[in-house]
Amino acid sequence: MVESRFKMKSGVPGAGFVLLFLLALSLVVAPKAYTADEGKALYESRCILCHGAKGDGNGHVSILPKTEKFGKIWKLNPRDFTVGAFKWRTTPSGCLPLDADLAKIVENGISRTYMPSNADLSRDEINGLVQYIKTFSPRWVEEKGDTGGVCTPIVINKPAFVGSPESVAKGAEVWKKMKCAECHGDQGKGDGPKSESLKDDSGHPIMAFDFTSCAGKGGVSPERTYAAYTTGIDGTGMPSYADSLNEDDRWNLVSYTLKLMHKL
Amino acid sequence: MKKLLLFTMMVAIFIPAMLFAEAKYEVIDVKNGGSIKGKIKASAPIKDPVTEINKDQNYCGNSQASRTYILSSDLGVKNVLVAVEDIEKGKAAPKTDLILDNKKCEFEPLVGVAYVGQKYIIKNSDPIFHNTSLGVMLGEGKRRTVYNLALPNKDQAIEKPVRIAGMQSVKCDAHAWMRAYVYASKSPYAVVTDDKGNFEIKDIPPGKYKVKIWHEGFGEITKEVEVKSGQAAELDHTFSKK
Ligand code: HEC
Ligand code: HEC
Repeated sequence: MVESRFKMKSGVPGAGFVLLFLLALSLVVAPKAYTADEGKALYESRCILCHGAKGDGNGHVSILPKTEKFGKIWKLNPRDFTVGAFKWRTTPSGCLPLDADLAKIVENGISRTYMPSNADLSRDEINGLVQYIKTFSPRWVEEKGDTGGVCTPIVINKPAFVGSPESVAKGAEVWKKMKCAECHGDQGKGDGPKSESLKDDSGHPIMAFDFTSCAGKGGVSPERTYAAYTTGIDGTGMPSYADSLNEDDRWNLVSYTLKLMHKL
Repeated sequence: MKKLLLFTMMVAIFIPAMLFAEAKYEVIDVKNGGSIKGKIKASAPIKDPVTEINKDQNYCGNSQASRTYILSSDLGVKNVLVAVEDIEKGKAAPKTDLILDNKKCEFEPLVGVAYVGQKYIIKNSDPIFHNTSLGVMLGEGKRRTVYNLALPNKDQAIEKPVRIAGMQSVKCDAHAWMRAYVYASKSPYAVVTDDKGNFEIKDIPPGKYKVKIWHEGFGEITKEVEVKSGQAAELDHTFSKK
């Protein structure tokens, strides 16, 4: 941009106006455009292989085989960013994620999906990638305004009782009452009666999470488990229980899932 | 050269802005409005397919009517969505909520209109687990979650604001056969045909409009209609199965 500005100045008579305009423009859009530009270069070197040049998930490696427990092979597709739906958020069902949510995924990668970690990158570089990803769907511009409180991020504040035997016992009741086993199975192995017909929003079969595999794709922390059923995992069939459970019961459920994951 | 440059820059700035700008709807007083009415028919009788049920048969049974083709004796088609699509001004949308019920292992209604700014009331009338997932249909089979809510217990109801406009499909992930369709509209000018395939859309400001006619099985067509003050524009359509 700087280079072309000087070229114009020397070449075009009366280009002062253009120069001013450009300058004003660069002041308005430059800080953000710069990071998204930077993000683009990084995207092309690190992400394009899977997510594709258009961000539609059709890179050279558009189908990743993923073997799960029951001898079944499930296909896994890199996220199609043009759809504008994201799985691991701290925002309620159907909402856009926060930049911080995306940054976390980009930094850590996604376990059991072949999506690599980018922990070697600086914060600015990761932010550049996040800004660039956001250019693939018009949703980021369309929904910039007030969402009337619908998309206010959830509060995640782990109480001290998580993991206590009483909390595990209460959580077991919540698990039953909320019928998590319909999809995740009695032992949480992902083999519930509804599991084999589950499909994601692009129509591909999807596994309900196997708790005995210990780590959720969105991360291993109790906070991340809490978020999974509070916000739901958009596009997968995993619904939000924000309206079905109070906060205490959701944390009791965390305790029970820790037990299912053999972490207690 | 200068002009060209400026022009290119303007285009570069404004085109994306235009593409991304969300369609606005302005509420005005409609005094000399006209209406659109008509009948949607099928070219020949069609049998409504039977849906096989493979989960929770104790409660849901082994099969149910799919309700895709509900035709009257004169071939009028029920559950066709008729919506004035490109309307930017008109009456305020009614303040009615859309009740979406998980009932006897199917959604009721199958096709409904919701109004942006009002609410979805999502219910489970069954003694089994349901979840209700609404998603904008983006074309090419792509879908973007609007809400996906668990309704694990009988008589549970969840209210959510209607925020995102457009055609949405409704699924219950636990029961793959369950589906419904919701058109979330900013204007009041969207309706669903009755048992006889009839519909009427009233109080439309005079002008030329594009009207979308959509049916789950027959597909979609857009027709141009001119609405004149105090008159009813006739809009009939006959679908044939390809
Ligand atoms: C080896 C293939 C691969 C590469 C390389 C890759 N990804 Fe991914 N990515 C995936 C897959 C697969 C998923 C979907 C996982 C799922 O849904 O279970 C995904 C999902 C995502 C998501 C969605 C997270 C959510 O909450 O829905 C983001 C954001 C993302 N990738 C960003 C990136 C960025 C940025 C890069 C480059 C720095 C990158 N990915 C590189 C395979 C890849
Ligand atoms: C309708 C089926 C269904 C029900 C009911 C359901 N889940 Fe899930 N759940 C899923 C699917 C499918 C996934 C996998 C998403 C993916 O891999 O992208 C999942 C994933 C998860 C994850 C993993 C998140 C991660 O980061 O990978 C957790 C934790 C979870 N579910 C907890 C629960 C709990 C607790 C309940 C009950 C309160 C529950 N689920 C009910 C279908 C369901």
